[in-house]
Amino acid sequence: MTIREQVSRTVDRGTDGDDSAVDVGLTLLAAAIAAVLVLPLTWLVVDAAGLGVRAFELAVAPKSIDVLVRSVALVAVVTGASVLLGVPLAVLTVQGEIPFPRFWTVLAALPLAVPSYLGAFAFVSAFGPQGELADLLAPLGIESIPSVYGFAGAAFVLTLYTYPYVFLTTRAALLSFDGSLVEAARTLNTGRWEAFRRITFPQILPGITAGALLVALYALSDFGTPNIMRVEVFTQFIYARHVFARDYAALLSLQLLTVSAIILAIESRLGVDESGAYESSSHRGSIGLELGAWRYPALLLPIVVSLLAIVLPIAIFGMWLTTGGPGYQVGRLTFSWEYGVNSAYVAVLAAAVSVLVALPIAIASVTADSRLAALANRVPYVGYATPGVVLALALLSFTLDVFPAIYKTVPLLVFAYVVRFMPQAIGSIRTSTLQVDRQLVEAAHTLGRSRLNTFRTVTLPLILPGVAAGAALVFLTTMKELPATLMLRPLGFETLVTFIWRVEETGLYGQAAVPALVLICISGLSMAVIVAQEGR
Amino acid sequence: MNGDSGERVVTRRNALQMGAGLGVTSLAGCLGFFTNDQNVEIPPLSEFRGSGTLVEGRPAPGGTSIEDLPDLSGDLALYIGGGEGGIYYEFVEMLQEIYPDFTVHPNDNDSASLAQTIVEEVEAGAAQADVFWSIDASSLGFVADNDAYDPLSDTAVDSVANDQFVGDDNAWAGVAGRARSVPYNTEELNESDIPSTVQEFPSTDALQGSMGWAPTYGAFKSFVTAMRLIEGEDATRNWLSDMKEAGTERHGNEYAVSQAVANGSLAAGFANHYYAMRVKNQQSDAPIDLAFTEGDAGALINVAGTLKVKGTQRGELVDDFVRHLLSSEAQEYFATISFAYPMIDGVEPVGGLPTIDELNPPDIDLAKLSNLEPTLNLMDEAGVSG
Repeated sequence: MTIREQVSRTVDRGTDGDDSAVDVGLTLLAAAIAAVLVLPLTWLVVDAAGLGVRAFELAVAPKSIDVLVRSVALVAVVTGASVLLGVPLAVLTVQGEIPFPRFWTVLAALPLAVPSYLGAFAFVSAFGPQGELADLLAPLGIESIPSVYGFAGAAFVLTLYTYPYVFLTTRAALLSFDGSLVEAARTLNTGRWEAFRRITFPQILPGITAGALLVALYALSDFGTPNIMRVEVFTQFIYARHVFARDYAALLSLQLLTVSAIILAIESRLGVDESGAYESSSHRGSIGLELGAWRYPALLLPIVVSLLAIVLPIAIFGMWLTTGGPGYQVGRLTFSWEYGVNSAYVAVLAAAVSVLVALPIAIASVTADSRLAALANRVPYVGYATPGVVLALALLSFTLDVFPAIYKTVPLLVFAYVVRFMPQAIGSIRTSTLQVDRQLVEAAHTLGRSRLNTFRTVTLPLILPGVAAGAALVFLTTMKELPATLMLRPLGFETLVTFIWRVEETGLYGQAAVPALVLICISGLSMAVIVAQEGR
Repeated sequence: MNGDSGERVVTRRNALQMGAGLGVTSLAGCLGFFTNDQNVEIPPLSEFRGSGTLVEGRPAPGGTSIEDLPDLSGDLALYIGGGEGGIYYEFVEMLQEIYPDFTVHPNDNDSASLAQTIVEEVEAGAAQADVFWSIDASSLGFVADNDAYDPLSDTAVDSVANDQFVGDDNAWAGVAGRARSVPYNTEELNESDIPSTVQEFPSTDALQGSMGWAPTYGAFKSFVTAMRLIEGEDATRNWLSDMKEAGTERHGNEYAVSQAVANGSLAAGFANHYYAMRVKNQQSDAPIDLAFTEGDAGALINVAGTLKVKGTQRGELVDDFVRHLLSSEAQEYFATISFAYPMIDGVEPVGGLPTIDELNPPDIDLAKLSNLEPTLNLMDEAGVSG
């Protein structure tokens, strides 16, 4: 059976309804869009295949194995540390009976609002050789401080900015599980720790796992932090080689994608039985932890974490804003607001295109009920899970070999953003489409309105908030995206992010103050959009 | 002056500006086009000079002043080698301040990567840059050998004093030089203790166990490559292992080597000349001076230089830009800020260095220095890993 026959059979099976012609059209459109989005990744295979037998030799060469081991170790350490930091914080804010719980919750989630590369940048300038801390200590006779560069530094910074994933998912699980179970256990004379281990922990485990998965994928795909901290992991290695050893970089990219897939597979295998996990109840996590007087010292944990993760970078960038910052060597880079305009320009394009592409996919996945539509809904998430550096490499290589007319142009850059971030738009449009009362649409049809007219006058106004939220998310994440912007932007097209990167590379730190603070605000806004959406 | 800037054909390199179409520069460009009259004001020479003890009291530089060159206007896409990008780029910023209608769009990376990128892009018909400013001649040679350049005009390269620092067919022009040198501690050694060829170093008693080098450093690898080209592989491998046996101390970079020489922990070392100048500029009484060998790899002079990327629509602007990098102000700037060797007559090197004419560099094609792989193998075999 040919692929085409298979596809049409699948479509037939899924669309037995009355409006099959339109549904088929919609579904095929969605599928085509999804296919175009993942197509460039196949070019990595073409590139790596050019190596022939050497591909295997290179894949098992000591250098490649080093990178593999170091990357996996970084993921493991960061994920473990995030769980150790995120779970206690979640338990503290939900069950700790602390004063102003909402304040501490926001505080503990806030590091998510700082892009990790900005955090790394701030840490390197604060604690690096010739950094602010070294300057402060020098008059005291302390001439050298331990280096922040390297594996430990990268793991530390990554943990600081990714543990909120675990914190938030664990918190959600804690809030939704049935506290009366713990009360029952306590009534039966089970110890406090025993009750946590046997009742609470199994219930919140799916939440912890979900957060750990997000942390692991982030740590594996992050580009800026390992680069700034000078740790040779997959992303850093690929970036350093993409110019003069494209085929090798493609091979490494495929290895990196394989590791991502393995992480996803492990998560689904762990597949903790979720059936009883999120039982909602009237006792919304009301069970207290009875910390007694310990509740106050316990607050030191969120205080110290937020001092390091939030206050430190803002203080450093703010200080540069007022003092001009250190120049480690001769040289100058002048910031221009044009870079901000450029960032906003591509982000608006990316948001607009993403919404246009996401609408048919999201609507098809809700209304068409076919397997193909479901697949088309899922396929774009491949782009979301693909590290930016890998996608950028695939696009560079594809355009140089096949389509030089769009090599390093704004349309190519926007395409990359759409591939990476459009799933956010699909997600929020899908959610709001699910909430549309089908009967309203039926009623409009009964009254003789055309499909398009119904969509325009009934469905669209109802899903508009979801569309707006999706657009906002794509806009904000595009503004702070680093690796694809760096590799795919046209020459001369400087954005806030690429300017910060140049400043970091040349060591002329002072000029990064304004764009860094702007990016932290933008990142904070994107968190606000997510929170607002979840609150609905 | 490029009066026709408003009528150029739209190419990819123009198209990229459309991306920045919302930008402020385009607006400024339009206004500039209508008035076509830049408010050019060239700052005093002191703005182009560094500071420090070595720089004070220098005579006014000769050569052609920026005042006598055509105004720069329009957009220029520049690939710039990142090694000393901060220093070079500051000069580009100064040019943009002098000429309000002139905008440079830079992309910085290491020179070897940029050279590779240029060749790939030109081959695919997707060139991005108008001009390449590399920190070494070997990456310029790589682009030239792969036919990814357009020749510079004679006027642009004329002021380069030495033919060795202009590529064949005007493929590139040197803008700043750096010499391999032997920094030595003046309290430990006399200039006469330093042999006139590096081949004699391992057998010189005064240097036993008291030399330093930085084999991971790019300039050191160029030096070994030059030796390989001049003396052959066997002689070079032997020299490296002899030096190692003579107790030569390994350092992380050549600035560290020069500092160790100045504080007396090394008697002498191998380093680019400007590191000793940096040490001296901070501490004028540091007991460090430079010796130069003669006619061999130890006396290699490498240059940072510029190249016109093949197919650029802004060839004339590139030529004028290169002339600005060879102006007396620019050359004074490179000489006093990065302590580089000037490329034009009339500007003296800083700090009593011998002039470039007084040096005796080996007669080799600098472009050949790009072939690093045999050099790295050789260094591995001698147990001196880069």
